[in-house]
Amino acid sequence: MSIIEVSRLRKFYSVFKKEPGLRGSLKSIFKRHYEEVRAVDDISFNIGEGELVGFIGPNGAGKTTTLKCLSGLLYPDSGFVSVLGFQPWKRQPEFQKQFALVMGQKNQLWWDLPPMETFLLNKEIYEVPQEQFKKTLDELVELLKVEDILKIQVRKLSLGQRMKCELIAALIHSPKVLFLDEPTIGLDVVMQKKIRDFIKEYNQRYKATIILTSHYMGDVKELCQRVMIIDKGQLVFDGALEKIIKKYANYKVISVILGEKVGLEKLKELCKVKEFAYPKVNFIVGREETSKMTAKILEELPIVDINIEEPPIEEIIRDLFTKKNYE
Amino acid sequence: MKKYLQLAKITFQEYFVYRLNFYLWRFRNFISFLTLLFFWLAIYGNRGEFLGYQKTQMLTYVIGIAFLRTIVLGSRSADLAGQVRSGELTKFFLQPIKIISFWFTRDLVDKSLNLFFTLIEILAILCLLKLSFYLPYHLTTYLFFTVLSFLAVFLYFFLSFALSVVAFWTEDVWATRWLFGVIFLEFLAGAYFPLDVLPSWLTKIIYLTPFPYLVFFPLKVWLEQLTTFEIAKAILICLTWLIFFWWLSTFLWKKGSKNYQAYGS
Repeated sequence: MSIIEVSRLRKFYSVFKKEPGLRGSLKSIFKRHYEEVRAVDDISFNIGEGELVGFIGPNGAGKTTTLKCLSGLLYPDSGFVSVLGFQPWKRQPEFQKQFALVMGQKNQLWWDLPPMETFLLNKEIYEVPQEQFKKTLDELVELLKVEDILKIQVRKLSLGQRMKCELIAALIHSPKVLFLDEPTIGLDVVMQKKIRDFIKEYNQRYKATIILTSHYMGDVKELCQRVMIIDKGQLVFDGALEKIIKKYANYKVISVILGEKVGLEKLKELCKVKEFAYPKVNFIVGREETSKMTAKILEELPIVDINIEEPPIEEIIRDLFTKKNYE
Repeated sequence: MKKYLQLAKITFQEYFVYRLNFYLWRFRNFISFLTLLFFWLAIYGNRGEFLGYQKTQMLTYVIGIAFLRTIVLGSRSADLAGQVRSGELTKFFLQPIKIISFWFTRDLVDKSLNLFFTLIEILAILCLLKLSFYLPYHLTTYLFFTVLSFLAVFLYFFLSFALSVVAFWTEDVWATRWLFGVIFLEFLAGAYFPLDVLPSWLTKIIYLTPFPYLVFFPLKVWLEQLTTFEIAKAILICLTWLIFFWWLSTFLWKKGSKNYQAYGS
C-alpha cells in the first residue's frame, strides 16, 4: 500500500534577478527582471509503508522543494500529491499529527529555552497523552543519549546535541511519516554515525516511512535500499542502490599490489590505469572483459595481491551529476 | 486550548531569560510617559483649564494613555513579518496550531506582563506627585470603558496582524510599519493629546477611521464626556472596523500562506 503518492508534480518559482551593486539596487526599484525557476518539473513516485528512501541530487536539484510540497509548506502548481491519504497543502490537523519534517539547517527548538520546553509545548500542540509522552520521550532520550542536556538553553548546545534534540522534538508525537532534510549536515563523523543508527532504529522499531535527503553518500548507502535521484527538477533514477552501479558504471576497478617496480608505460600498455602509487595500481576495465583482463594482469605483472571491485558509489554519482548523462 | 496555555507559559519564560531587555523596555515606556505628563503639567502651569479640558481631566487622559498603550498598542504580532522573511514561520505551518491564536496568546502574555508594571508605575507617579485623578461617578461608565477597551484590544490586534501578513508579498514591511506606527496610528489614536482639541472638520474625518477607537474614545468615556448616544455610535463604528480587520486579516492570511515560499531552507 502506498503511503506517499506523487504524480506529475510541478512547482515553479519566479525569482527576480538583481544586478550587483548599488546601481543594480536602484535599477531594481523601477524595473525588475523575473526569471522562472523550474524547481520541480513533472515528477512521479510512490512510497510504501515502512520504506526508507534516499533522495539525492546536486544542490538546487529540487529535493527540498519536493519535501516542502509533501509536507504542505508549498502549494503545488500542478500534479497530485497524497500523503497518508491527505492532500498536504490543506494542512489538516489530522494529517499534521501524523508526520514530521526535520531540516538540518533550520531549527524548531525554542532558541532561548532548554529543549525540554519545546518538547512540552509539542506535547500539547500534538495533543499527546501524558503516558505516551513520557514513554516516547524516555525511549528517544535513551536512544540518543541526551539525558544530561535537556535542561540547558538550546543556544548553548553544540550542533550535534541540537540535532539530536531536534529529532526528539519532531518525533514526540510518533509520526508515521518522516521527512529528513540533510539531518547530518555539519556534523562530525561520530555524530553522523549516531544519527544514522538512530534513523535506522527508528525506521525498524516503529515501521515509519522515511524520506531522507543528504549530501553524504554514507547516509544513503548505509540506510536506504531504495534511492531516488533528482536533477534539474526531474526524477532521473528510482530504484535499488545497487542498480545505480549496474546501470551507470559499466566498468570495474581491478586494484593490484605490485611485488616489484614496474614502469607506468608498461602498465598503460596493459590496461587503462586509473591511479598509480607504487606499490598500488588501480586499473579500469569494462564489465564484460573483467575476467579476461584479470587473467592477463595476473600473467604479466609481479603481483602480491589483487582485488576486483565495483567503482565507489560516490564516484558514480559525482560522474552522473557532472556529466548529466542519465540515459 | 491546553496548547495555548503551554505556549503562554513558554512566552513568560522567554521574558525572564532576557530580564535586562525587558527592564530597558519598561524604562523607555516609563520615560515617554513621564515626558508626556510633564509636558502637560508645564502647559497647564497655574491654569485650571486649557483647550476645554480641566487640569485633572487632562492628567487623567495622559495616565489613561499609559494604561491603554500597554493593553491596546502593545503587540508582538509584528514579529510575524520577521518570521515570514526569515522562513521561521515554516515550523508553524507544519504543526496543528492556529497562527492567529498563536500570536494572540503571545500578545496576551506581553500585555499582562506589561500591565503589571504599568500599574505600579502609574500608582507610584500618582502618589509621588500627588496628582488628582478623575474617577467616573456612574457605574455604567466602567462597563462602557471596559467594553470599548476590549474592542480596542481586538481591533488593534487584527489591524496589526493584517499589516504583518503583508510581508508575504513585500517580504519586508518595516517601511510601511514605521510610517503607519509613528505618524498615523499614535497621532490619530490620540496617544499624545485628546483629538477634540483639533478643528472640528478634521475630527469628523478622524472619527471615521479606526484609530481614535484605540485610545481616544475609551478615555472620553472614562472622563464621562460622551452622551449614551455618542457611546453607542462609537461602539458601533469600532465594531464595524473590528469586523472589517478581522475579515481582512484572515483573508490576507489565507491568500498569503499560499504564497509562502518557506525560504532559507
